[in-house]
Amino acid sequence: MFTFFDTIIIGLTSGAVYSLMAISLVLVWRSTRVINFAQAGQALLSTYIGFSFIGRFNSYWVALFIAIILGAGVSALIEIIFMRTLFKRNTGPIAGVAPIIATLGLLGLIHGLIGIFMGGKEAIIRPPVSNVGYTFSGHTLAFSPLKLVIVSAVLFLMISLSILFTKTNIGLALRASAYAPEIARLAGVKVDGIRTLGWALAGAAGAAAGMLQTPNGTGALSPDSLEFSLLLVFGFIAAVIGGLESLVGAVIGGLLLGLVLAFVIMYVSATLPFMTAFVLLLGVLLVRPQGIMGKKVGRRA
Amino acid sequence: MHKLLQSNFGRLVFFIFLGFIIFLAGNRVDELRVYQGATLAMFVVAISSIILLTGYSGQVSLGHGALLAIGGYSAVLARNYWTLPIWICFAIAVLVAAAAGAVLGTAAARLSGPYLAGTTLALAVGLPSIANQFSFLGGEQGLLFDVGAPPVSLGADFSPYKWYFWIAASAALIALWWLQNILRSRYGRTWRAVRGNEIAAQLAGIHSGKAKTLAFTVSSGLAGLAGALLAMTIGTVSPSAFPLTLSFSLLTGAVLSGVTTLPGVMIGAVTLVATPEISHAISNRIGGSDGVTTNLPGLLVSALLILVVMLVPNGPVEQMRSMRVRKNASISR
Amino acid sequence: MIGTYRRKLLIASAVLATGSLALTAIPAQAFSVRNEIGVTSTSIKLGITLPMTGAASPGYNKIPGAMKAYFDYVNASGGVNGRKISLVVKDDAYTPTASVQATNELILKDKVFAVVGALGTANNKAVAALVNPGRRGIPDLFVNTGFSGFAVKKSYPTTFSLFPSYVMEAKILSMYIKDKFPGKKLALLYQADDFGRDALAGFKTGGLTFDTYIPYAPLSQATPTVPPTWISKLQAAGSEVVVLFGVSSATAAALGAAYAKSYRPQWILGSVGGDATAIKLAGVPAPLFTGVQTASFLPAPADTTDEYVKLFQTINTKYNPGVTFDNNILAGMNTAFVTVQAIAAAGKNLTRKALIAAIETKGSTFASAGLTPMAPTATTHAGYNGYWFGTYDGTATLKPNDGVYTVYTTDSASGAVVKSTYKRPDMPLNGLPTSK
Repeated sequence: MFTFFDTIIIGLTSGAVYSLMAISLVLVWRSTRVINFAQAGQALLSTYIGFSFIGRFNSYWVALFIAIILGAGVSALIEIIFMRTLFKRNTGPIAGVAPIIATLGLLGLIHGLIGIFMGGKEAIIRPPVSNVGYTFSGHTLAFSPLKLVIVSAVLFLMISLSILFTKTNIGLALRASAYAPEIARLAGVKVDGIRTLGWALAGAAGAAAGMLQTPNGTGALSPDSLEFSLLLVFGFIAAVIGGLESLVGAVIGGLLLGLVLAFVIMYVSATLPFMTAFVLLLGVLLVRPQGIMGKKVGRRA
Repeated sequence: MHKLLQSNFGRLVFFIFLGFIIFLAGNRVDELRVYQGATLAMFVVAISSIILLTGYSGQVSLGHGALLAIGGYSAVLARNYWTLPIWICFAIAVLVAAAAGAVLGTAAARLSGPYLAGTTLALAVGLPSIANQFSFLGGEQGLLFDVGAPPVSLGADFSPYKWYFWIAASAALIALWWLQNILRSRYGRTWRAVRGNEIAAQLAGIHSGKAKTLAFTVSSGLAGLAGALLAMTIGTVSPSAFPLTLSFSLLTGAVLSGVTTLPGVMIGAVTLVATPEISHAISNRIGGSDGVTTNLPGLLVSALLILVVMLVPNGPVEQMRSMRVRKNASISR
Repeated sequence: MIGTYRRKLLIASAVLATGSLALTAIPAQAFSVRNEIGVTSTSIKLGITLPMTGAASPGYNKIPGAMKAYFDYVNASGGVNGRKISLVVKDDAYTPTASVQATNELILKDKVFAVVGALGTANNKAVAALVNPGRRGIPDLFVNTGFSGFAVKKSYPTTFSLFPSYVMEAKILSMYIKDKFPGKKLALLYQADDFGRDALAGFKTGGLTFDTYIPYAPLSQATPTVPPTWISKLQAAGSEVVVLFGVSSATAAALGAAYAKSYRPQWILGSVGGDATAIKLAGVPAPLFTGVQTASFLPAPADTTDEYVKLFQTINTKYNPGVTFDNNILAGMNTAFVTVQAIAAAGKNLTRKALIAAIETKGSTFASAGLTPMAPTATTHAGYNGYWFGTYDGTATLKPNDGVYTVYTTDSASGAVVKSTYKRPDMPLNGLPTSK
């Protein structure tokens, strides 16, 4: 019985990490119609920034705050320097592919630079709060104060960003700039600035994902960290399952992915996680090509 | 010359002529270059597969490595279990990969850009792990692929690399010739119509789903051939021969070639083959540390990729063409 | 117009490409008849391929630096028979495709005398199949893998193993566990590929069955869902002794996840994932190591009473500054040491044939840091064939059990596991092997 509960808890808490990454992918998608593969690199960079500030201020929380701010800044800069030029210059058949390729290039660039400057340096982030599970009638649960922080962060981001998108003028401008930039511009929306804001928010969410998952995993940080590549892949799968358009969908996609993975590993075989993710994605898309929370009227990217 | 290429026969003559030049070139260079030539031919096939899919039918695949893997494993299994002649193994690789592509393409036709990107990405991550599930696939160590020694008639000291080069170059030439023909046929026009404006194409009576599925199938078949060639040039197949980075570098090659134009395909292939050597030369020149030396190839390719997407998004070939067209237009005015 | 322009470009690019292929032709170099390729009277050129970048690189990418440091040390003392050794390092990012390409470059472009310490089972298999150093007569020394097949001379004529095989390790572990932990609930957590499967075969030969088997997909340890689920599975089965056959990132993930669940079984780590420095680098704090056991064939890297470790540490400080001394450095320097030993044994007239013959005939008497004998013969190119067991203390320092290195040896087939009486030869003066 405890095994069953454990599996649910593991599924949900690990799913929360995928959700964080999915949220940042959805934010970029919603504001500029781009799948940002550089997000893994940006998250890694932000986490390195956070790591260096942990040393300076001797506080994880201050460093987390700085990492989030600088992560947002880097993301905004990328949008201003690369994406704007890209959108202006790109028309025709390449337009659908160019952003994906540009972000893959950026991923390689960030990765290479981190490799040159940070490669071979030891970097470990220790958990800011205990990661030993709470005990319940003599059993240690798979739920610890650290996991509580992660789950809270996901819920906070989802709720506050949803409010921002649906209840405020900025949110309206964000949506308008993405779906109909020309009309938004006519209506007096500063489209470029608004798009940059979308990227900045995504950068912040990505930084939070990196800073939280690193101590939640083994704590080690390296330029070749596979954790970040897999976080991107699984976050992307979560976002696609959820429907790419919706923050709630991103969270649902992440949690569903986490749960299915946990149950398959626990009750079927630990050799299957990668296949499971693929089959789940294919299954969801066969039933709903636009994802769980996606709108039926598909927009072609 | 232009007129020559307009007809099917003319193109055939041209490709045979091209083959003759490559044959002569292959005899003049040393063993390492010959081997690189074989790799180059493999990349040419793989990149044209992406160009066909993305440039001509507007679909994105982030997981082409998985289709290469299907082709590679099919060829190796056919060779090892039934000891078939090598060209039949290659044909099997094409057919099996095309069949897989048809299944995937049916699903893909329903998906728009990012969803398709996600599915193919997940495929590239998930598929190689199958090799560890079934023992006949040889697990992580993979399976050996012996294409056999060069025919005795070529002489005793005929190097195996040259033999691989001949096979790969002929395969690439045949694939390109065939692709040129299909792109100039009704199907090619259909794909371009769908890519240009899917709704307009549908109005004109084109079944866009079918067209996309067919493009995916043909592209997968080519990817299968590339996979078999890859297996030949490394003598084995194993899951680690088809990593996610392979899929990404093929995409890189396609963009550098100009994703909408088949003729540029050599540019991307040459870049992929030459980058390690160039970056090695650079890091020797600047005497960089280990960190610089090992990260430079990735850095160079990434920088090049960004520059191309930002400056010549449709690829250098297309860029030259449109400049020329503009120039001609202004002259005639 | 547009159509014909395309054709023209097609021709242009094709001609350009074939032309560039032809232009890059390098004239065949004339070799001096007296010298073997890669050897002059003052120099020897060696090459290595291994992952310097990518997910598989952490830890391993320290090996070339260690090897170069030892070669530099030897060169500073005059080299081997007056020849100074250089090492060309090629990154293959652990993909066989790149290994083949890189080895081709080493042989055809850099023209190395021999390849030393090439890493990875699939990589070495691809290289053997395609580049075929065996056919070319190029020594492929001390490959860095535990696959038992590379020791078979008939299949790989010029390839030599150095490390004991995974099969040997599992057989010795079987004996050890049956002896020390009778009646306990046993579990095996292993990487579901040939590395793990080789071990499974060894446990079977060793007659040890586990109550729980958890095979895991390689690389999946880096996803947040995976390691906690292993631990829940192990807890649910009530496992008391857990044997882990995986890489160090998996060890780190498992130890961390077990700590989070207050789960404390007796951990026994396979040698591949049992290096404390790598596990610590992967994030595990030293106190978590307390009581964890592992097997090794080299002395403990912190054991400064060992003359080799002491010397290698000094060399590392001088020639490889700023790099922490760990098992990878120790193993890298030891590989370099055995290489120098082999080159010295091949004599003044250094040829590839002489080198191979020297290892086949004198290899079993070579001095090295290894605590178990080496077993190369004219028919089998095996390396070390045994292990000793040790336990980590709270500072993550590995100490041999009961304070002495008790070495067990066996083979990769069905041979028995025996307690070895092998006494390691004394280190040559200053750690500089001479031809004997």
